[in-house]
Amino acid sequence: MTTTMEAKKKRTEMLVEMRKEHRDTVQKAQELLKAQQSTRKVLERALTGGPHSVPQLAQAVNMPAHEVLWHVAGMKKYGIVAEAGTDESGDYYLYRLTKEAA
Amino acid sequence: MPTEHIKVDALVVGGGIAGMQTALDLGDQGYQVALVERQSSIGGKMIDLSKVFPTLDCCSCITTPKMSATAHHDNINLLTYSEIESINRNGNGFTVQVTKKPRYVREDDCTGCRSCELVCPLEVSEDEHEFGRTSHRIVYVPFSTAVPQKAVVDIDNCIFCGKCIQACPSDAIDFTQQPEPVEIETRSIVLATGFETTPIDAKKEYGAGKLRNVISGMMMERLLAPTGPYGRVLRPSDGKMPASIAYVQCAGSRDQTLGVTYCSRVCCMYAIKQAMLLSGALPLAEITIYYMDIRTFGKGYEQFYQNAKAMGVEFLKGKVARITEDADQNPIVRVELIDEFGKTRVTERQHDLVVLSVGLLPGGNPQAKFGVPVGEDGFIQVPDYNVFPAVTSQPGIFVTGTALGPMDIVDSIMMAGAAASATASYLESSNGSGKEAQSQPERSVEYA
Ligand SMILES: Cc1cc2nc3c(=O)[nH]c(=O)nc-3n(C[C@H](O)[C@H](O)[C@H](O)COP(=O)(O)OP(=O)(O)OC[C@H]3O[C@@H](n4cnc5c(N)ncnc54)[C@H](O)[C@@H]3O)c2cc1C
Ligand code: SF4
Ligand code: SF4
Repeated sequence: MTTTMEAKKKRTEMLVEMRKEHRDTVQKAQELLKAQQSTRKVLERALTGGPHSVPQLAQAVNMPAHEVLWHVAGMKKYGIVAEAGTDESGDYYLYRLTKEAA
Repeated sequence: MPTEHIKVDALVVGGGIAGMQTALDLGDQGYQVALVERQSSIGGKMIDLSKVFPTLDCCSCITTPKMSATAHHDNINLLTYSEIESINRNGNGFTVQVTKKPRYVREDDCTGCRSCELVCPLEVSEDEHEFGRTSHRIVYVPFSTAVPQKAVVDIDNCIFCGKCIQACPSDAIDFTQQPEPVEIETRSIVLATGFETTPIDAKKEYGAGKLRNVISGMMMERLLAPTGPYGRVLRPSDGKMPASIAYVQCAGSRDQTLGVTYCSRVCCMYAIKQAMLLSGALPLAEITIYYMDIRTFGKGYEQFYQNAKAMGVEFLKGKVARITEDADQNPIVRVELIDEFGKTRVTERQHDLVVLSVGLLPGGNPQAKFGVPVGEDGFIQVPDYNVFPAVTSQPGIFVTGTALGPMDIVDSIMMAGAAASATASYLESSNGSGKEAQSQPERSVEYA
């Protein structure tokens, strides 16, 4: 076995061991991840139709606006969305998918 | 796990501005210093502020160089993400047991490149600095100017997918890390444990933390900071740019019902500062400050207040009785206004966003943890505040910054100087050894 393969095997074993040791928290985190990934997918799909404000997104995906804002803030932080000017009223920023995310 | 041993002249507990400045002042004089900070970065509350009154200088621009100087000082041994477990008197000095919490990232190897963070698949609320208004990944560098600039893993939310391990160019991730015991032998201790703010849910009349568009002064600092959760001032319920913002003064200070009878000293000034910054960030917004009396005690502070008035900030004397919200989550403030002749009138006013000018409360539990007496207000009490403001009744234990009581940054820095000089004179005189590895004539001084 090459050293790289050995290292890979050791890493996999360590991760399996960790998942066992932290069984309860891992299970909760996995559920959270599943829910988060599906929410993000829905939001991203809505944004492929063009820039949206937080209330517009909230309406499009049927989610409370404050929750949408939390996701948008995280997506902006990690480069998935960017601002795209304001809506007609001038009260809300619009968000679009970044080129990388699109 | 073998115990690491550190021998120093002074242990500074808390890495806010007061602790950092004390450590720097002592380190510059040649004393060996250990600085223990419980959070993953030094900087304290100051690194979270937007700009500072009364100069409106960028807070990060002032704090970051201090953080860096502290971390790179030859005479300062910095222990972040570390908790003091016990302090025992040992002859003229102290033996202090500290636990370094595991970051699950080897500090020596991590370069802070964030490659791990960018591939991590899950996000959770960022509560430590951003009040849950945005997220961080499970492995993350706490903030862009964190010192040390090292990642930390939120192990309780990790799924152990291993993506971070694969992405890390320095092979720094280590899920097998355990808490590390450190024993510090020190001849003196400086407590710089700082303050907390009144919890947002402390007053049920002000919505008990349930109204989304009623936020704390500290959260407004984050909204005003370019590094904040939205990078802009938006209201939390729906991301609207607020057109009408109100401040409620003394929301947690001078309030018998909360058992906080003192004035927190900084709230009037930070509300005025934020109002001025908001006038710049949202030029069309109307800003109202509901106050009972405005306290502008420091150098240049009264002029700062007058400038805010001249900029159009509305100052209304009155007592806010209640805050509720309408169907669109706009806060409704019920206030008893007092006119210049002392006549009162009760009215209700609607705003887009309300900021509670929350007060300063003692941080941690210094009495239990460090055996120093506290006053009725819960802050550390010293026997002779007028003459030796930094000297506690425990020989060899000193105090600085807001651990002593509410104060602003200028006063915290001055108190740091006072604490460093009191500590230095104690070290030179108490048991004769003076600076480490350097013998000094024995002198004895009573601190009691
Ligand atoms: C909303 C707001 C705005 C403000 N704006 C201004 C302004 O514009 N200008 C101004 O002059 N002042 C301002 N202030 C006041 C300013 O924040 C304080 O004066 C200053 O931050 C005090 O610094 P400190 O080091 O005493 O405390 P802190 O910043 O609280 O630092 C204490 C540190 O000790 C650590 N710690 C606590 N207990 C332990 C322990 N047991 N072990 C290890 N570490 C521990 C904490 O984690 C923290 O890092 C403002 C305050 C607020 C609330
Ligand atoms: S192992 Fe944990 S920290 Fe690393 S990428 Fe996966 S979830 Fe994130
Ligand atoms: S743990 Fe590795 S990938 Fe993450 S910031 Fe440190 S060096 Fe970069």
